[in-house]
Amino acid sequence: MVVGGVDGQMDVLTRNLSSTVLRVGSVLTGLALWHFIATTVINDTTFLVSPIVVVATAYEMLFVNGELYPHLFASSWIFFYGFLLAIVAGVPLGFVMALNPVVRDYINPWMTTLYTTPRIAFAPVLLLWFGVSGGAKVSIVFLGCVFPILINSYYGMRVVNWEYVELARSFRLNSRALFFKILLPASVPFVLAGVRLAIGRGLTGVAIAEWFGATEGLGYLIFFAGQTLNIPILFVGVTVFAALGIFGFEVVRRVEAYATPWKKDARGI
Amino acid sequence: MFKKEIVRGAISISAGVVIWEILARLLLENELLIPPPSSVLRSFWTLAVSGKLNKHFEATLTEFAYGFSTACILGIIIGYFMGMVRWFDEIMDPWIATLYSIPVIAIVPLIIIWFGIGLLSKIIVVFKITVVAIILNTAAGIKNLDPVWLELAQSLRLTGWQTTYKIRFPGALPYIITGMRLGVGRALLAVVVAELMASNAGLGYLLRDASETWDSPKLFVTVILLAVIGLVSFNLIKRLERRMAPWRQSAEWSSEA
Repeated sequence: MVVGGVDGQMDVLTRNLSSTVLRVGSVLTGLALWHFIATTVINDTTFLVSPIVVVATAYEMLFVNGELYPHLFASSWIFFYGFLLAIVAGVPLGFVMALNPVVRDYINPWMTTLYTTPRIAFAPVLLLWFGVSGGAKVSIVFLGCVFPILINSYYGMRVVNWEYVELARSFRLNSRALFFKILLPASVPFVLAGVRLAIGRGLTGVAIAEWFGATEGLGYLIFFAGQTLNIPILFVGVTVFAALGIFGFEVVRRVEAYATPWKKDARGI
Repeated sequence: MFKKEIVRGAISISAGVVIWEILARLLLENELLIPPPSSVLRSFWTLAVSGKLNKHFEATLTEFAYGFSTACILGIIIGYFMGMVRWFDEIMDPWIATLYSIPVIAIVPLIIIWFGIGLLSKIIVVFKITVVAIILNTAAGIKNLDPVWLELAQSLRLTGWQTTYKIRFPGALPYIITGMRLGVGRALLAVVVAELMASNAGLGYLLRDASETWDSPKLFVTVILLAVIGLVSFNLIKRLERRMAPWRQSAEWSSEA
């Protein structure tokens, strides 16, 4: 877009300024309203507490008694293993399915079924098989993460621009070089988009996994707080989950911007 | 003749079931871990005849239908205004983004505390999940409308209402349906979670009941039933998408969250 001289620049400036004011104003008004409703209208700490109490509780759990950290670490490990396994298994399988239609046709019905089933349904079954161990939790996270990664890897390799492949043919690249020089780099943005989607699903997976028979972790914290009507801790747990989601999303976005510099608008919807 | 991929898919599924039956019968004496398909089928029959299955299925479906339809109506309206009015967009955006980034499961306990263990809390859960996806997609659809279409509307001297009805809404429709598709999968997960946590009816309740009484065949019946529901709803929306927006590649799996 061409910005017309100084006036245009001023225009953009006021636009950005008013946008910031509106956003900040909206958040502040919302918080004030929340505080008002919590303290005046409802005034029942087993139902809703003021955001100030939530912040105070978060401060205490983070800096005073450090209660949050064991839960945070427990959840992080489960997430990390499940996520890593999903990448290690999902990306190659997606590529193989893209390159070999027979494999695709045999795997596809199973994949679609597993993918469209609400993951929570598998949780009791996995617990039955693995017991209340790390294995069950990691596999629940794995099940959540693997499909976006697998499907995007598959799709990324399928939609590689045909002209690139023809170019490779005219240079007489062998199939190995074709894979590493053309197909793989071209599908990287799709794989990363899958990884980005997997983060949210993985976090949900952590919460599901920890709800079934865990003794620590963020999911456990939330469900325990819910059961004991401890609203401040409940809110802290929910906030930490949201923060982790945003953080992970941002990390992958940075990686995307770095790994695929030719793709300017890596944001998508 | 059937297509090659359908034949292969059918072979794959039936081979899987046969191997499952053989393995479960030969290797594991214990039905607890992996019940063979035959006893899963028997359990399904018992449940269906006793009418229990019907009742739970109906409960889940009701919750889903109420939440989803409300979310569609409100989501499209709010999304439309977010796409049209800039200040409204700026005001709503931080809240929608926050709602969007909270994992479904984390917010369910809170909703149960607020709205009880009955039907209402599940409707709210479904609503919350679906509405965010629909709002975001509707707003994106309205914003990303091809300016040429709007110019066309101007040269045809369409009124504001006509522009909305004939240009903006159809233009945003593919986005809206994508939002619905995203919503369906997540809402299904969420409603089962909410039922598992606290309820007295629904497929999630059945799941919990089965797992707490160590009734593996029943557990598998529920899991397979949920798989079928997921599959059917996914394909229905995909078909709807293809019919409403045939110009858009429906192979766009990538936006599924």
